[in-house]
Amino acid sequence: MWKYILNRLLISIPILLCVTFLVFVLLNVVPGDPVALMMKEKVSADVVARVRAQMHLDDPWIIRYFRFLWGLLHGDLGTSYKLQRSVTDLILQAFPRTMVLAFSAALVSWIVGIPAGILSAIRQYSVTDYFFMGFSLAGVSMPVFWSALLFQYVFALKLGWLPVSGFYGWQYVIMPAVVLGWSSAGLIARLTRSSLLDVMRNDYIRTARSKGARELAVITGHALKNALLPVVTIMAIQVASLLSGAVITESVFGIPGVGRIAVDAIKSRDMPLLQGSVLFATILVIIGNLVADILYSFLDPRIRLER
Amino acid sequence: MGSVLKRFYVFTIILLTLTFLVGTASMVSAKEKELRISYPEDPKTADCQKNTAYYMLPLNCFDRLIECVTLESGASQLVPGLAEKWEVSPNGKTYTFHLRHGVYFHNGEELTADDVVYTFDRMLDPKTQALNTDILNFVDGAQDRLDGKTNSTKGLKVLDKYTVQITLSQPFAPFLAVMASPQASIYNRKFTEKAGDQFGLTPKTTCGTGPFILKEYVLNDHMTLVANDKYYRGRPQLDKVFVRVVTDPETMRMLFEAGEIDIFDCDYAFSQIPYFLESPKWKDRVVSGPRVGIYYMCINQKKEPFGDVRVRKALQMAIDRKTILDTLFYGRGTLAHGIMPKGLIGYNPNLEPIKYDPKKAKELLAEAGYPNGVDMTLVQVSTWGQTWAKMNELVQAMVKEAGFRVKISQVDESTFYAVRKTGDSDHYIQVWSADFNDPDNFFYTFFSKSGTVVRSFNNNDPEVFEALDHARTITDQKERIALYRKLEKKIAQDQAAWVPFFNIEHLYVLGPRVKKFVVPWNGWSDMSYYEMNVE
Repeated sequence: MWKYILNRLLISIPILLCVTFLVFVLLNVVPGDPVALMMKEKVSADVVARVRAQMHLDDPWIIRYFRFLWGLLHGDLGTSYKLQRSVTDLILQAFPRTMVLAFSAALVSWIVGIPAGILSAIRQYSVTDYFFMGFSLAGVSMPVFWSALLFQYVFALKLGWLPVSGFYGWQYVIMPAVVLGWSSAGLIARLTRSSLLDVMRNDYIRTARSKGARELAVITGHALKNALLPVVTIMAIQVASLLSGAVITESVFGIPGVGRIAVDAIKSRDMPLLQGSVLFATILVIIGNLVADILYSFLDPRIRLER
Repeated sequence: MGSVLKRFYVFTIILLTLTFLVGTASMVSAKEKELRISYPEDPKTADCQKNTAYYMLPLNCFDRLIECVTLESGASQLVPGLAEKWEVSPNGKTYTFHLRHGVYFHNGEELTADDVVYTFDRMLDPKTQALNTDILNFVDGAQDRLDGKTNSTKGLKVLDKYTVQITLSQPFAPFLAVMASPQASIYNRKFTEKAGDQFGLTPKTTCGTGPFILKEYVLNDHMTLVANDKYYRGRPQLDKVFVRVVTDPETMRMLFEAGEIDIFDCDYAFSQIPYFLESPKWKDRVVSGPRVGIYYMCINQKKEPFGDVRVRKALQMAIDRKTILDTLFYGRGTLAHGIMPKGLIGYNPNLEPIKYDPKKAKELLAEAGYPNGVDMTLVQVSTWGQTWAKMNELVQAMVKEAGFRVKISQVDESTFYAVRKTGDSDHYIQVWSADFNDPDNFFYTFFSKSGTVVRSFNNNDPEVFEALDHARTITDQKERIALYRKLEKKIAQDQAAWVPFFNIEHLYVLGPRVKKFVVPWNGWSDMSYYEMNVE
C-alpha cells in the first residue's frame, strides 16, 4: 500500500510541472497587462513601462518561468502582482474558509443524498421515489448562482431567518452549504439509487430475505456496503473538487475563499497567484483521487492496490 | 421501512426548526455608533501610492496637506489640511507649507516636515513601484529620482520641523488641487520604513493621521475602522465603520434591505434606482449629488474612416444622448457638450449644444464619401455590468439611422486595458470622475500627447498638445480658464475628438440608522466618513 501511495505521489510531480507550464504559456498568450489593469483609468504609458521593468515583467518568458520554478523548489510561490502579498499566505488564509464551506456542503450532500437514494431505491416508482429524484434533478439542473440568489431572497430577505452573506459565524455557512450541497446531493442520490437497485437484485440479497432477516438489516447489513462503493469514490472526488473552490457560491455569499482568489487572479493576469491557485487545486484533486482509490480498497477486499 | 422514513422526516423537521431559530446575528452593538457599508472590490492596500482606483482607506485613515471639501451640492473649496497655511512664490514654482503643530499619527509620532518629504520621496523611489507618481511629475528632480539616478528628490526640502518646501521644475497651476487628492496622503517616516513592503497591507502595518484607524482587515471580506480619539479636528461622531466587500450587486441590495448595511450606493446597480425612487419606504431616504465627471465615447482616429472629422461629427449627431440618459439613468443628469463637467472649475454652461440630428449625420457621412454608411466596432467589457452593455446596445440601435453599422466586441477587462494603452483599441464608452478640481484633470488625461495615445483617442494635434502643456503653467486663473474653454470648443466640437454624453447625479439610499450623510464634492463612491453619523 505504501509503495502504491509513493508511486502515485512520484507520478504526480511531472503532472504538476506540466500544469504549471501550461498555465504559464496560456497566461502569456492571452492578451492582458497586469500593470495596466492595476492602473485602470489612471493609466500612464511612462508609469506602466517603469513598473513593468521594476517587476521584471519584460524579462524573457523562459527566465520568468524558471525563476518561478526556482522559487517553488524553495517553497516560495512568489508575491501576487495585484495583492502585493505572499501567494502562499493568501492561499493558506483563504483555504480554511473554503474547507469549511466544502466540508459543510459535502456533509449536506451526503446527509441528504444517501438517504434520498436509499429511500428511492427501496420505494422504486413510488411517490417517494419521484419526489426524491425530482429533488435531485432540480439540484443538479439549477445553476448555483440562481439557487443562491433564490435562497438569499427567501430565507434572508423575506423570512429573515439567516444572514444574506458574509462569513462571520456558523450561521453564515448554512445557506451556501445547502446551495452547494443540494447540487452535489442530486448526483449522490441518483448514484446511490441506481447502485442499490443493482445490488438488491443479487442472489445473496434474496437469500438474506428468505432467511427471515428484517428489511432494514438486509439493506444496511448486506446491500448498502456494496452499493456504496461507487458512491464513496464520487464523494472523495467531490470533496476534492469543492476544496478547489466553489467560485460562484463564494462570490454570491461573500466568502473570501480559494475560488475567488483564483478567478481574480485570472481576471487580473496575476501570474504568481494563478500559478499558486492552480497548483494548489491540482494537488487537491490528485490527493482526492488517491484517497478515493485507497478507500475503495478498504471497502472492497477484492481490490488490491499493488500487484 | 416506514419507521425509517418517519425518522427521516422527523430529522428534517428538527433541522428546519433549528434553522428557523437561528436568525440573523446582529453585528451592531446597541451602544456603539457603527456605520456599515459595502464595497464592490477589495482595495488590496491602504497605501495610496500603489492604489489607483479605491481610495476609501486613504480618505479615512490618512490626511493630506490640503483638503477639498463640499460646500454645497456641486461646489467645493480647497481648505487647509495638515498644512495650516502655505505660500506660493511669484514665479509659481516654489510652495512653502507650514504644518499644524500637535498633529499625531496613529502610532503616537508627531507629524513633522520630514514626514512630508519622506512621503513624496518614497513615491518617487523606484523601489516603491508606486503607480501614482504623475502627481509629482513637476517636482524638481522627480525624474532623476524615478530613474534611480539620485537617492533623494532635489525639490523636496525640510526648512524646519514644521515647514516643508516643494520646488517645481516649472509652474504647475493644479499643484495645490493635486495636493488635495487622495494620492497625496502623508505617511510617518519611522513607521512606514519599518513596515517596508507590508505597509498598508495589514492593520499592524498601516498608520496615518486620519480620523479613523484601520483595526481589522480580512482580505476580500471586510475591514473595520475605529475612531481616532486624538484626531486633530476632533474625534469623529462615528465609533466604527464596518466595510464589507460585496462583489455581487444583487447581494448588496439584499444586504441593504435586510438592514445589514446602512448605505446603498446606486452606482453599483443603476437598475434599482426606479425601485428606490418609487418605494414609499425608501423614496425619502434617497440623496444625491452631482458627479464631477463625464460619460463619453472614445473615438479612435486610427480606425478609419474616423480620421475624418466629418465622420466623427456625424457620429456625435447620430447618438440620442438624452434618450440614453432617460432610459438608463432615469433622467438624473445633464447632457454634456464639451469636456469639463458641471462642478468643475472652469465649467462652461454656455457651450453650444451638440444636437441629435441623424438626418444631418447621414448627409455628413455622404459628404465625407460614405453614402452607404460606415462600419465600426464598440468594445464591451464583459465584467462591467448591465448598464454598459445596455448603453452599447442603445447606441448600436440609434446610429443605424445615420448609417453607422456597429458591431459590439466583448473582451475581458485585462484585455481592454492592455489593448487600449497601445492606442489600438476599438471605440468604447467610459466614464471619468475628477481626482482633483481642475480642468487639467480632464484635458491632460485625455488629450495630451501621451494621454491621447494611451487612451486610444489618437487626436494628434501638436497645437493642442502645446496649448495643454502651456495651460498647466499659467498662474492667472482667469487666463487659464479662458484657454481651457477655447480648447474645449476646439477639441470637443470643432475636432469632434470624442462624443461627450452626460454628467449624471450620484444617488445613494440611506438606511434608517443614518442621521448625517455628506455627498463628497466629486460625487465619488469613495468618501470620508468623518462628518457622518448614525443613531
